[in-house]
Amino acid sequence: MAALGRQVSAWYHLIPLTWARMSRQTPQKKMTASSLCKLTTASTGGGLEEVPCVQDPACRTHLPQCLLEKQSAPVDGGPWEREEVITSLLDMGFSDVHVNELLTVQPGTHPQQVLDIVSELILLGVNPEPVCVALKKSPQLLKLPVMHMKKRSSYLRKLGLGEGKLRRVLHCCPEILTMRQRDIANTVRVLRDKCLFTVQQVTEILHRCPYVLREDPGELEYKFQYAYFRMGVKHADVVRTDFLQYSITKTRQRHTFLERLGRYQTPDKKGQTQVPNPLLRDILRVSEAEFLARTARSSAEEFEVFKKLLAREEEEEPENPMPGDKSTMHGTVPQHDDPAPSVSWAEGNCCEAGPSNVRLSVCENFRFKCLVFIIFD
Amino acid sequence: MAALVVRSVRDLLKRADFAKVPRRHRHKKKWAATEPKFPATRLALQNFDMTYSMQFGELWPSIRVSLLSEQKYGALVNNFGAWDHVSAELEQLNARDFVNKAHARGEQEPESSQTAAPSPASWACSPNLRCFTFTRGDVSRFPPARLGSLGVMDYYLMDAASLLPVLALGLQPGDTVLDLCAAPGGKTLALLQTGCCRNLAANDLSTSRTGRLQKILYSYVPQDIRDRSRVRVTSWDGRKWGELEGDTYDRVLVDVPCTTDRHSLHEEENNIFQRSRKKERQILPMLQVQLLAAGLLATKPGGYVVYSTCSLSHLQNEYVVQGAIELLANQYSIEVRVEDLSHFRKLFMDTFSFFPSCQVGELVIPNLMANFGPMYFCKMCRLT
Repeated sequence: MAALGRQVSAWYHLIPLTWARMSRQTPQKKMTASSLCKLTTASTGGGLEEVPCVQDPACRTHLPQCLLEKQSAPVDGGPWEREEVITSLLDMGFSDVHVNELLTVQPGTHPQQVLDIVSELILLGVNPEPVCVALKKSPQLLKLPVMHMKKRSSYLRKLGLGEGKLRRVLHCCPEILTMRQRDIANTVRVLRDKCLFTVQQVTEILHRCPYVLREDPGELEYKFQYAYFRMGVKHADVVRTDFLQYSITKTRQRHTFLERLGRYQTPDKKGQTQVPNPLLRDILRVSEAEFLARTARSSAEEFEVFKKLLAREEEEEPENPMPGDKSTMHGTVPQHDDPAPSVSWAEGNCCEAGPSNVRLSVCENFRFKCLVFIIFD
Repeated sequence: MAALVVRSVRDLLKRADFAKVPRRHRHKKKWAATEPKFPATRLALQNFDMTYSMQFGELWPSIRVSLLSEQKYGALVNNFGAWDHVSAELEQLNARDFVNKAHARGEQEPESSQTAAPSPASWACSPNLRCFTFTRGDVSRFPPARLGSLGVMDYYLMDAASLLPVLALGLQPGDTVLDLCAAPGGKTLALLQTGCCRNLAANDLSTSRTGRLQKILYSYVPQDIRDRSRVRVTSWDGRKWGELEGDTYDRVLVDVPCTTDRHSLHEEENNIFQRSRKKERQILPMLQVQLLAAGLLATKPGGYVVYSTCSLSHLQNEYVVQGAIELLANQYSIEVRVEDLSHFRKLFMDTFSFFPSCQVGELVIPNLMANFGPMYFCKMCRLT
């Protein structure tokens, strides 16, 4: 029997375990492992070596996982191992209550697995208490394969999200650990290459408003363009005011309302306006009642009607900007220390969606001259 | 090789459109214009921001947001069609006849306060008009008008505030009526709907605009009423009306050309705030005074004139009225009295928002809850 078990474990060594397979097998695992929990706590260490794994081959799926990491751990090390995990957790600075919570938050998870995940998080610079809160809030994190976790934490470190910054992110958006790396990379690429934020600013954005990770990158870019071109908000202010965390509908409603009231103007290229613009904080962060009373100085019923009209305007002509909305959404972001992407951005804009005929004709004329030049050369 | 080069050059030239454009239209387009080009709608907005923020003070932001948002319409029911059927249909859409509502209100009030009610002749509304609007804050729209069973259209969609000058004119059965600047025809149609016009003269300087007026009359009014010298459409200069037909009409509507504030903010085409039309804009108040004076001269002594614009500017409203009265008193020794419309205003307060402090006449200001207007109207009586 034991030999069979060993053989099974050997097979699982060969098959690369996918995350899907893991999740598919959890119900069975849960059952057996809960019995494991009960038994081990009752006996307090001793004599029950074979209980955890031998009854059901399916429950072995998580064991090889651990074995991948800890080659030396024997199959029969259940309760002893648990003790070890508890002491390690206590060493990391968790209190007894926390340890207990961690081990019971997702019944059926192997203690070693818990320890691995927790230690990765601790290594990322999250304090014990926030780790506890985050794992309680999203217990699915405990099921992550350790390799995935390791890779992800090194990626996050590369993004600058280590050392104390991860706490807020984990609280708002625990998906950052589970979602596909490609999706995170896409969001980051949009922020870097399309919106031309600096590396530090991207880190700051991910830290301050992690909700951007849930958003469609296209939407995110549009939101940035709205801030930059329509509202005249610069990069640093977009970061500082957490602009990207507000929904585009809310932003547009409040901004357009103010603009048509004559209380907000898009700054010109020198950053000047004819009326003093209200602070972004007073537009977006305040409640609607406060916004109407202090910033817009208008009535709630008028704003309600306005929202209805604006929604209709948008659905009727999504392409054309309203006559009241003066600037278009196209233009070029001034370049900063990152020349390559900004050049391509500007070029694309110039040839496809150029803001004025003048620029277009410059392009064409230039091409024309080049052609003539080539022919007569 | 040479042939190939020549052909490709010819292709390029063709692509650059040198061949097709006639020589006289060919010009070298400047790449960098020295002057930034502002659209006329934007110039209009700048102009309004400067003048109206002083004129209206705290009210201006709310007017501004309303002008820049979608306006509300009223459906003027065509009395020449199956009007009862159409009214029932419009009521099903949850629209209400605001004229009827105002009448009901007017009948209630004299009972409660007999003393305050002025003599009926001075504020009597023109009869038989039915105009449906949606209630305050309701942003629904009317479906486009259809051809009714009697061969005319069901209703005419217009800014409901445009009906107020016609209502204020207080037509009586058998009146001879002049509409001095008639096109595009909403108010003229409303005048005909009252059924009081023995004769209606509709005039507009521009032939293209009278063409539009004709089209509207054609699709809304049956032929027997349109013809037979009852309705006369002309394209003369309205300023000369005093000389052409002095002391002729019982009622005159002078709906003058103005800066058409709402229109100027939304339409680039034919916008009066274009730089090229600066002169025209500047002489506008003078033109308005001349037209109003001509209108007053064409009225019989004892007849009424209503002056109306769709602008918010005092320069085109109150000052024009005062200027014209002064002009008539000085040059023609004709006395004109301005009628008090405050009772009229009270009747329609539910539907429209009025500017509270006009010196003469009444001004409907746009508001998001009731996005009608702007519409200024002032009623005058020629005494001598």
